Amino acid sequence: QKKKENLLAEKVEQLMEWSSRRSIFRMNGDKFRKFIKAPPRNYSMIVMFTALQPQRQCSVCRQANEEYQILANSWRYSSAFCNKLFFSMVDYDEGTDVFQQLNMNSAPTFMHFPPKGRPKRADTFDLQRIGFAAEQLAKWIADRTDVHIRVFRPPNYSGTIALALLVSLVGGLLYLRRNNLEFIYNKTGWAMVSLCIVFAMTSGQMWNHIRGPPYAHKNPHNGQVSYIHGSSQAQFVAESHIILVLNAAITMGMVLLNEAATSKGDVGKRRIICLVGLGLVVFFFSFLLSIFRSKYHGYPYSDLDFE
Amino acid sequence: AEPSAPESKHKSSLNSSPWSGLMALGNSRHGHHGPGAQCAHKAAGGAAPPKPAPAGLSGGLSQPAGWQSLLSFTILFLAWLAGFSSRLFAVIRFESIIHEFDPWFNYRSTHHLASHGFYEFLNWFDERAWYPLGRIVGGTVYPGLMITAGLIHWILNTLNITVHIRDVCVFLAPTFSGLTSISTFLLTRELWNQGAGLLAACFIAIVPGYISRSVAGSFDNEGIAIFALQFTYYLWVKSVKTGSVFWTMCCCLSYFYMVSAWGGYVFIINLIPLHVFVLLLMQRYSKRVYIAYSTFYIVGLILSMQIPFVGFQPIRTSEHMAAAGVFALLQAYAFLQYLRDRLTKQEFQTLFFLGVSLAAGAVFLSVIYLTYTGYIAPWSGRFYSLWDTGYAKIHIPIIASVSEHQPTTWVSFFFDLHILVCTFPAGLWFCIKNINDERVFVALYAISAVYFAGVMVRLMLTLTPVVCMLSAIAFSNVFEHYLGDDMKRENPPVEDSSDEDDKRNQGNLYDKAGKVRKHATEQEKTEEGLGPNIKSIVTMLMLMLLMMFAVHCTWVTSNAYSSPSVVLASYNHDGTRNILDDFREAYFWLRQNTDEHARVMSWWDYGYQIAGMANRTTLVDNNTWNNSHIALVGKAMSSNETAAYKIMRTLDVDYVLVIFGGVIGYSGDDINKFLWMVRIAEGEHPKDIRESDYFTPQGEFRVDKAGSPTLLNCLMYKMSYYRFGEMQLDFRTPPGFDRTRNAEIGNKDIKFKHLEEAFTSEHWLVRIYKVKAPDNRETLDHKPRVTNIFPKQKYLSKKTTKRKRGYIKNKLVFKKGKKISKKTV
Repeated sequence: QKKKENLLAEKVEQLMEWSSRRSIFRMNGDKFRKFIKAPPRNYSMIVMFTALQPQRQCSVCRQANEEYQILANSWRYSSAFCNKLFFSMVDYDEGTDVFQQLNMNSAPTFMHFPPKGRPKRADTFDLQRIGFAAEQLAKWIADRTDVHIRVFRPPNYSGTIALALLVSLVGGLLYLRRNNLEFIYNKTGWAMVSLCIVFAMTSGQMWNHIRGPPYAHKNPHNGQVSYIHGSSQAQFVAESHIILVLNAAITMGMVLLNEAATSKGDVGKRRIICLVGLGLVVFFFSFLLSIFRSKYHGYPYSDLDFE
Repeated sequence: AEPSAPESKHKSSLNSSPWSGLMALGNSRHGHHGPGAQCAHKAAGGAAPPKPAPAGLSGGLSQPAGWQSLLSFTILFLAWLAGFSSRLFAVIRFESIIHEFDPWFNYRSTHHLASHGFYEFLNWFDERAWYPLGRIVGGTVYPGLMITAGLIHWILNTLNITVHIRDVCVFLAPTFSGLTSISTFLLTRELWNQGAGLLAACFIAIVPGYISRSVAGSFDNEGIAIFALQFTYYLWVKSVKTGSVFWTMCCCLSYFYMVSAWGGYVFIINLIPLHVFVLLLMQRYSKRVYIAYSTFYIVGLILSMQIPFVGFQPIRTSEHMAAAGVFALLQAYAFLQYLRDRLTKQEFQTLFFLGVSLAAGAVFLSVIYLTYTGYIAPWSGRFYSLWDTGYAKIHIPIIASVSEHQPTTWVSFFFDLHILVCTFPAGLWFCIKNINDERVFVALYAISAVYFAGVMVRLMLTLTPVVCMLSAIAFSNVFEHYLGDDMKRENPPVEDSSDEDDKRNQGNLYDKAGKVRKHATEQEKTEEGLGPNIKSIVTMLMLMLLMMFAVHCTWVTSNAYSSPSVVLASYNHDGTRNILDDFREAYFWLRQNTDEHARVMSWWDYGYQIAGMANRTTLVDNNTWNNSHIALVGKAMSSNETAAYKIMRTLDVDYVLVIFGGVIGYSGDDINKFLWMVRIAEGEHPKDIRESDYFTPQGEFRVDKAGSPTLLNCLMYKMSYYRFGEMQLDFRTPPGFDRTRNAEIGNKDIKFKHLEEAFTSEHWLVRIYKVKAPDNRETLDHKPRVTNIFPKQKYLSKKTTKRKRGYIKNKLVFKKGKKISKKTV
C-alpha cells in the first residue's frame, strides 16, 4: 500500500515536472504503459494519437494538433490548473506499439483515460461528428472529467497584421499621390467594387463560405464531373462561379444597350454594340433559366417559349 | 380571449373583397402627387387605355400633364389591383384563414385588442403561454401590426361595415402591398424619374420575394413593415433633397410607425447614419443634410423610445450606437464648417483634421468604454451572427435551427427575384455613374441589403424593394432610349402590336410603364438613331423578358407561397385535390374535449397554433425567449418515458402533442426536427442528453432497426410510432413503413406506462397523448417480499381417479452420459 502511494506520488511529481516545461508531453510506448496504462493513478489523462511526421502527410493531424495545443495551453496557464488532468500525445512513429495495442488505425484520435478503470466508448472523442475545435474538445473534457477549461485563443495577429499592412499600404499610396487624388473620385472604380459585392452575394458565395461545399462533384463510377448540384437546396462552388459570370454578363448586356443608345459615335458601331448587348442579355438569361430549370424540378417555363 | 377557430366558410373571401377595393381607391390618391417636371408631348393615339377615370381628375385632361398624372394614377391603381389579387391564391383555394405560425399569435393578440380595448392590450399578461411563467404580451411585441388591424376594424365597424376581425387580418398584408408599391414609386421617382418609379411600383407589386411575406392570411409584421420601410426611405430622401424640417418630421413619424411594426427598424437606424457618414466622406456635406439628420436623430430617437418593447434600447444597445456616433460627428463637422468662415485656410486645415479625428476618436472610445462598463449592451447574438457567420451555429442553436436563418443559395435569389436579380446591378451601375446625394443612399441600401440577404434567407425581404427600384431604373433606361421613336417619325407599327399583345396577356403592367417613358422622351431626339428595326427588336425582347417575369411571379406565388400550411392539400393523378385538415381537426378536438386549463406540451413550433386555435395553455411557443424552458421540453421529448414523465409531472403537463408525417409523407414533422430538440436540450443539460447517443455508430440518424437504442426508446419516437407497426399502408411495403423517411420502423412494439393515446387525427398527422396521473397505489416493479416462510399453496395431490400411480417428488432423473442435475421434474 505504502509502495503504491509512493509510486503514485512519484508519477504525479514526474508529470507535474513535465507539464511545467511544456503543456503537452510526448509519450512513447514505455512511458505510455507506465503513466497511462499502469493502475495507480489519480489523474485524468487526455491523449492525442496522431502522426505528425512529414512523411505521413497527415494535414488534418497538424490542424488538430494546433487546436490541441491551444487547449492544453489554456489549461496550463489557467488559474484552475492542478494535477488532476494532463495532456499528452503519442506519435505513430514513436509509439507504434501503442497503436497496435489499442487497435487503432486512424489518426488523429483523442482519448480520455479516466483515473479509475478502462476508457469507455464515450471516452473516445467523436472527431467525425463534432470536429476538433478546441471549444468542442473542452466541452468533451468537461463532460468526461468535470474540469472546465476556458479556451483562450491567442489573438490571431495575422489578420490584424494583414489589415494594418493593407491600411498602411493604402494610406501610403494616398500620401504618395496626394497631389493627384482624382482616382478616388473615379466613379467607375467604385461602381465596379459595388457590383463585385453584389455579384458575389447574389451568386451565393456567402452560402459557400458558411457551408463549405465541394468545388464540383465527380461521379466515382464513370468519372463524370458535374458542376451543377442536382438539388435546389445546395450548390457547388463551381456552380456559383458560373452563375456569377452569367449575372455579370446580363448586367453588362444591359449596360451596353444603354451605351449604344447614348454614346455619340458612328452608327454602325453603335448598332453592333446594341446587338451584342441584346445578345448577352437574351442568351445568358436563357442559359441561366435552363440551369435553374434543371435544378428546380417541375418548373414549367423554359427560355423564350413560355406559352 | 377567445379567438374563434376559423370556420370553413368559403364565402368569407367574397365578402371582404369589396371593401379592400374601396381602400385601394381611397388611398392611391398619393399616386398623382405631382407629375415630374418633364412635360410630355402630344399624347399619341391609343396611349391612354380607356380606364375608368375618377371624376376629380377630369379637369386636367386637356393638358398633357393631366394625361400624365391620369396615366400614372391608373398604372399605380392597376399595380395595386394586380398585387392585391395575386396575393389571393390561398384565399380562393382554401378559405379566409390565418397562415402558418407567427400570424396566429398576431391574430390572437389583435383579437384581444379588438375585444378588450387598447389599454387592456398594452397591459395584457398572457397566462396561457410559457406555462408556468406566462408572458407579458403588451411589453414584448411590436404593436404596430395589431393596432393597424384593430384600427381598420374599428373604423369599418364605426361606419357600420361589419367585418370580422379575422378578415381584416387576412387581407391586411395584400392591402398594404399596394401602399408599398406607391411608396416605392415615390422613392424611385425621387431617385431617377417617374417612368422608373412606375416600373418599380409594378415590379414590387408582383415580385415573389415580397409576396412570400404578404399573401392574404400571412398576418405578420413584415407585411406592413416593408411599406413603412419604403415610405421612411422616401421621406428621408425627400428631406435630404429639400432640407426642410417638415419632410424630416414626416420621416420621423413614418420611422415611428416602422419601429412600432417590426424589429427590422434597426436597418433604418443604421442605414441612414451610414448615408450621412458617406456623404460627409464624399464631401457632400450641406445644410440640408445637417438639418435632416439632426432632426431625424433626435425626434426619431424620442419617438422610437415610446414603444414599450423598444424602451431604452436606442440609447443602451450597440445596434443603435452608430446613429449616435454619426450624430456627434455631424455636429463636430458642422461646427468646423462654421469655423472655416472665420479662419484662414492654413489654420483651418490643421484644425479640421485635428477636430475631426478627435471627435471620431472620442466617440469611438466612449462607446467602447460604455460597452465595457456595461452601460451599453453589446451586440445581441442575432445581430452578431450577421457579421460572424459561424457564430450562431456554435453558440445559439435555437437561432441556427430556424430554416429562414440559413444562408441563401443563388437558386433562392433567382426564385424570388427572377430577371430582377440579373438586371439590378445595371441599375446600380447607372446610379453610381450619375451619382448625387440620394443615389448614394440607394447604392448603400443595395450593397448592405444584398449582403444581409446573402447571410440569411429571411432578409431577402429587405433586399427585394431595392432590387425592384434598381431594376426599374435599368429597364426604364433601356425603354427610354429604345421605345421612343427617333427622327420624329411615327411609331413603328410592330411596337404597337406587341403592346396590344401584352395587354391581352398578363404583362399589361409593363407596356404602360413603357408608354409613359415614350411620352416623356419623345421630344428628345438623337441626331442619328439606331434605326427602327433594332429599336423594335430590343423593345420586343425586353418586353418578353418582363412578361416572363410576370409569368414566373404568378407561378411562384401560386405554387410556393400560397399554402396556408395549416391546411395541406395533396393532388391525385387525375388532378383532383385532397384537403388534409388534420391540424385543425386536432386543435378543435383539444378545444372541445379537454379541460379549459389543460396544459399541452409540444415542440415550440406549434405553440402559437395551439394557443390560437385550441385555446389551451402551452409550455413553449414560437416566441423563443426562454431557451432553458425550451431545452426542458426538448429534454422531455428526447428522454425515455420514465425520465420524461418526471419532467412532465414537474411541468404539470396534461397532454402531449406531436406531429407525425410518416403516414402521408409530410416532411416537416417532429422526427425530422428531432435532432434540434436533442441539440437544444444538450446545450442546457449536457449530462443527461448527448447528441451522439441518437446516432448509429456510423454517425447516421436512422429510425429503422439499425437506429440507436436511445432513439428507439425516447419519448418522441414512441409517441410518433405508437401502434404504427400494426399499420400497413401499402401492399408493397411492410407494416410500419415510414413514408417520410422511407424506412421500416425499428421499434414496433411500443407500450406506454405513464401516457395513453388520446387522439390521432385522420391522417395521423397530429397525435395527442394524455399524461396519466400517478396511480393511487403505486404498483411495485418487483415481486413483493415473501414474509410467510411456509408455502402458501397447499400441496395438492395429483392423484386423480385416472392416475392412481404414486410418484416421488423431486425425484432425480438419470440420463446416460449426462451429469446428474438436481432439477425438479
